[in-house]
Amino acid sequence: MKSNKSSQDGNIVIRFFSSVKLAIFLFIVLAITSIIGTVLPQGESLQFYLENYGPFWFKVIRTLHLYDTYHAWWYLTLMALFSINLIVCTIKRLPYTLRLFRKDGLNLSKDDILRRPFKNSWLVPQRTNPVDIKKEIKGLFYERAGKGRSKNVDGGELHFVEKGKWNYWGVYLIHVSVLVIFAGAIIGSFMGFKGRVMLLEGESTDHAIKTDAHGNIKKIPLGFEVKCEKFVVDFYPNGAPKLFKSDLVILNNGKEVLKKSILVNDPLTYQGVTFYQSSYQSVPDVKIKVVSSDGMQKIVHLSAFRDRETWKEKGLLIGMMKFLPKVHGAPAVRLYIGDIGGRDGDAIWLLSGHEREEKFGDLNLKLSLLEAQERYMTGLQVKKDPGVLVVWLGCFMMVAGFAIVFWVGHNRFWLWLGEDGKKLNVILAGQTNKNKVHFEKEFKKLSHEIQKRIGEA
Amino acid sequence: MDVNSSYLLSLTTFVYLGAAAIYLVYWIFRLEKIGILGTIVTLGGFLLETAGIILRWIESYQLGYGHAPLSNLYESLVFFSWVTILVYLVIEFKTKNRVIGAFATPFACLAIAYASFSPNVEDSIQPLIPALQSNWLLAHVITCFLGYASFAVACGLGIMYLIRGDKVKSGNYLLDALPTRRVIDDLMHQTIIFGFLWLTVGIITGAVWANQAWGTYWSWDPKETWSLITWFVYATALHARFVRGWAGKKIAYLSIIGFISVIFTYFGVNFLLSGLHSYGSS
Repeated sequence: MKSNKSSQDGNIVIRFFSSVKLAIFLFIVLAITSIIGTVLPQGESLQFYLENYGPFWFKVIRTLHLYDTYHAWWYLTLMALFSINLIVCTIKRLPYTLRLFRKDGLNLSKDDILRRPFKNSWLVPQRTNPVDIKKEIKGLFYERAGKGRSKNVDGGELHFVEKGKWNYWGVYLIHVSVLVIFAGAIIGSFMGFKGRVMLLEGESTDHAIKTDAHGNIKKIPLGFEVKCEKFVVDFYPNGAPKLFKSDLVILNNGKEVLKKSILVNDPLTYQGVTFYQSSYQSVPDVKIKVVSSDGMQKIVHLSAFRDRETWKEKGLLIGMMKFLPKVHGAPAVRLYIGDIGGRDGDAIWLLSGHEREEKFGDLNLKLSLLEAQERYMTGLQVKKDPGVLVVWLGCFMMVAGFAIVFWVGHNRFWLWLGEDGKKLNVILAGQTNKNKVHFEKEFKKLSHEIQKRIGEA
Repeated sequence: MDVNSSYLLSLTTFVYLGAAAIYLVYWIFRLEKIGILGTIVTLGGFLLETAGIILRWIESYQLGYGHAPLSNLYESLVFFSWVTILVYLVIEFKTKNRVIGAFATPFACLAIAYASFSPNVEDSIQPLIPALQSNWLLAHVITCFLGYASFAVACGLGIMYLIRGDKVKSGNYLLDALPTRRVIDDLMHQTIIFGFLWLTVGIITGAVWANQAWGTYWSWDPKETWSLITWFVYATALHARFVRGWAGKKIAYLSIIGFISVIFTYFGVNFLLSGLHSYGSS
């Protein structure tokens, strides 16, 4: 990216796609356009937009797919441009980063070393044995700076120590990580699915339900069965929800293979498909005893999914219109009683513990509520996303990249020992690309120690 | 009077207010002793706030709820001010420059004042609803607010940069007391990288958590989207340094715009837009 200006290749397309200016332009455009979807309600019916925003804005919303901004063609185009920008930058940066990474710190002349940002030079009169003092300064250098290498340069010996050379890969890692996250998201959207399952206690299913943007319902086969054995909901004294729990069982070919209680933050995964606790409903489940005057009787079982039943012998249809869990402390049901043809009928309230007589046509009926309870139905979010691990890999790379950029610096130390006339010339030099203040301290400390050693000579 | 965490924390507001005033006086009179007093008062407020947060944690156990004090708007505002002071104190310790305090402490003071005295902010301890019952709560909130607090300080530095002016010596007594633009710019850049790192980790921990709770790591919920918008603004600020003519003033403006975006992510989304993060608004 830095090599942008000095770029030798005249290819205008590559230059355009690798420019930092394009990156900044895309950041700003993405930031501004992303606001739309947070202000305008998303995923509503087209009717909703027409009613609330008028015909002009409705046209704008429909044309630009603003009802689903983040999947609109123009938003995805911006994302694609952003990806191309990143890919071109990443490829273009590779030789530049490699050059920095492979640069040999020993491949410098004495003059080069004196041009480093931090340096110190001493001349030592050779009264003492030069081999001794050289050995001691070298020892000091490696002890303080760390392990290193050496080479003969310009008639002297050059010693070199470096740390944090991989600092150059930090920014690189961040850029690649964004592409990895995108790849994960693409894998997920093509190879995964999202759906819902609603299960009464005791009920099981072998498919999930998916509702698309236009309200069409699609069945997604799971390849196995999931059963809800029990659902529990619990509240705090102040009425706030405390716990939602579904006891799930996975059945493969009718055989129980897995059993787990799932909570909101603790889902179940089987064969790459994960079930999340997402909602619940309570649905009524009642049993009514109907006795006719001729002594015949029938138990009518009604629930949210079977809200009517017929009594063929008597030509009756009995249905549940409403359920109230507590009326004066007891459950109550509003019933519809009519003939099977549906031509004639009455609505009555039946209260638990109170038998009721009802005349219908030439029939005298005695009705009583045998059982009335609310059964729970758990709402599960179902998901399969093989791209999610790739996304996590990208996230990990990104954080590692940032950590390197922020905390790791490429620190280099040079020590040159050679003759200058009859004196021993000692040169200490240093360079860093991060946290100069801290490096300067370290450099000064080492400098001071060498100075002290020379002073003793 | 009964000493509880809310009392300690509302007391902290006045300590931070005092600290901000002392730093301001230090900027004007530049007496070393006043500067040291500013640091001592800030540190005192920080310790008081720390005690308040720990006490609130203990109180939540006494109520039988037992969760870290990071679960609603009140607690997040308190934590925001706490981290802002922490980030500032680290910068003061590293740079030995106390004038920055006049630009950083007001953010912490405002946050905790709003938490303590606004009738819109409920300060009672509430139990955790099922969606929040996760170890990710701690990681997510701490990382996000490390980012937010760094951006608050970077915003203070941006304001400082803009009023500092270009000249090394402007002849203006107050302006010359501020660090040079080069120094402010470097500090602002470092603070933004630091904030960007934590914002990124905050978004990622949020994604991991959302994936665990709802089965989707990104659902374009307004809060998520606004955190991404904020991310784009700071990405712009970080890349602007590589474009000729963009360094300096433009980055200072971006630092301020970025923080406005942070504030919107934090409050605006809760109050003006609806979404999955509704528990952050009461």
